[in-house]
Amino acid sequence: MKTALEFDHTVKEYSSLFPRRRVRALDDFCLSVEPGEIFGFLGPNGAGKTTAIHLAMGFMRPTDGGGHLLGKPFGNAAAHRRVGFLPENVAMYPRRAEELVRFYGALNGMAPADLRTRAAEVLTLVGLQERRNGNVSKFSRGMVQGVGLAQAIVNDPELLILDEPTSALDPASRVAVRELLLRMRAAGKTIFLSSHLLSEVELVCDRVAVLHRGRLVRVGKIADLLESTKRADIVARGIKPAAFPDAKAQDGVVVFSTSTADQRAALERVWQLGGEVVSVNPQRLSLEQIFLELTGTSKPDRDGGTQ
Amino acid sequence: MRPVLLIAVNFVREQRWPILVLLLWVLLLAFLGLMTNKAREGEDLLFVFKQVALYVVAFSVFFGSSAIYNDRRSRRILSILSKDVERGEYLSGLVLGIAIASAIYCFALGLTGSWTLGEAGFAVRQMWFLMLGLVAACSLAGTVALMFSTFLNPFFAAGATAVAMGLPPALSLGLHVAELSYLIPVYPLAATVLKSSFSPHERMSWFPIALAFLETLLFWMLSAKIFSYVDIAVSVD
Repeated sequence: MKTALEFDHTVKEYSSLFPRRRVRALDDFCLSVEPGEIFGFLGPNGAGKTTAIHLAMGFMRPTDGGGHLLGKPFGNAAAHRRVGFLPENVAMYPRRAEELVRFYGALNGMAPADLRTRAAEVLTLVGLQERRNGNVSKFSRGMVQGVGLAQAIVNDPELLILDEPTSALDPASRVAVRELLLRMRAAGKTIFLSSHLLSEVELVCDRVAVLHRGRLVRVGKIADLLESTKRADIVARGIKPAAFPDAKAQDGVVVFSTSTADQRAALERVWQLGGEVVSVNPQRLSLEQIFLELTGTSKPDRDGGTQ
Repeated sequence: MRPVLLIAVNFVREQRWPILVLLLWVLLLAFLGLMTNKAREGEDLLFVFKQVALYVVAFSVFFGSSAIYNDRRSRRILSILSKDVERGEYLSGLVLGIAIASAIYCFALGLTGSWTLGEAGFAVRQMWFLMLGLVAACSLAGTVALMFSTFLNPFFAAGATAVAMGLPPALSLGLHVAELSYLIPVYPLAATVLKSSFSPHERMSWFPIALAFLETLLFWMLSAKIFSYVDIAVSVD
């Protein structure tokens, strides 16, 4: 089966004349997104996420390498007929919401008769059915983002590329978007989701990739990443904390951690010392912890990105 | 073809205020036509008509030089080009939009001119011929500006367009070779309007009009080629 989206050793450099400098926004970037998955694309500001998305959509040319979008090389406009795209900080022409959605649908070759019903349908999906005749110029940022999402899905795309789709949405709208994405995945669609909202990503994505300084630093299934520490927390009673390095006494029990390789030996030692094992839990990091660990973003990131 | 038409109509809608402002000049001509004795003050009306006619060429340069910039700065271009729209089609839409905008103006001016100057003895056929020439000049001027704006900001694109349009007549004058002014025939077409009179001496020529439309096509092709290499998502400033 063909990949939905594929980056093949993609390199993108930005250069400026005054001052003369080159910034490598993407460096030998390889990634494959399989059909039917929700793929989370993570990285700090300036990591190159938006650059990668813009390359995939053909808004830019790669300095080296390339990639494929639904089997077609990046920049192939015909492939866009099967793609939905929501840019970061979406901007819209000052028109009625329904008119705008129909305009974008028509650009994708949809027939006017189909568009009449489809535009109303997608605006209902994003919760704007009652504002469909309102002018977008008078909408809040969150509502504009909703219209942006509606125009992205009006053509019932096979692949949906979303750049920060929920950044301006209120919690209720976020839940609605999350449900929409899950419904689309259930219908066999592929979703490529770039987001800073790690809790959102953790909830909906099957796989994630973490990009840092233009390089892919981690890619994998969410479940694997969260359990990737290979350590376990052991709670025991009836032993002294000094029996294990870094063990702490808490509420009458002793808590310590060990690598999964040494777990069996640690448990036997507890029993040898006359103790009792209360619990053994594999350590799970949150996506946020993994993200911070991989990207070291406790301090401000470099500038020069295109986010 | 449908995306081209959609983009063109969208462009005209976006530029409706400048077009309306431009149409105020036509309204001024109509007002003067109402208030003056057309037979006696026909020459004055013709002078105003010539002035008002040439404004649209300047506006076309303004439309052409700022169209891509506006869409890139607002990032609206991303939503358009994320659809099944080639960059060349996007530019075609803008060129057609500029042509439609100038045609709307020229049609209004032609109607008003036929009424005011026609009653003063100006040949109506000549009037519509001038308007067609003006639309051709606007399409070409707008497309040249659009071509420069694919890689320059609007200010420099407008300046470069002025130089490109002014250079051929300047060379023609300096080298005493009249044909040179037809390299980019905006000036010859504008000059036809400026030289128009109640008793025209020269035969009206279709050559600069046809050449202007042909060059519009050539400059559009050049624009599309240049624009295909432009990173449109990169900040335009």
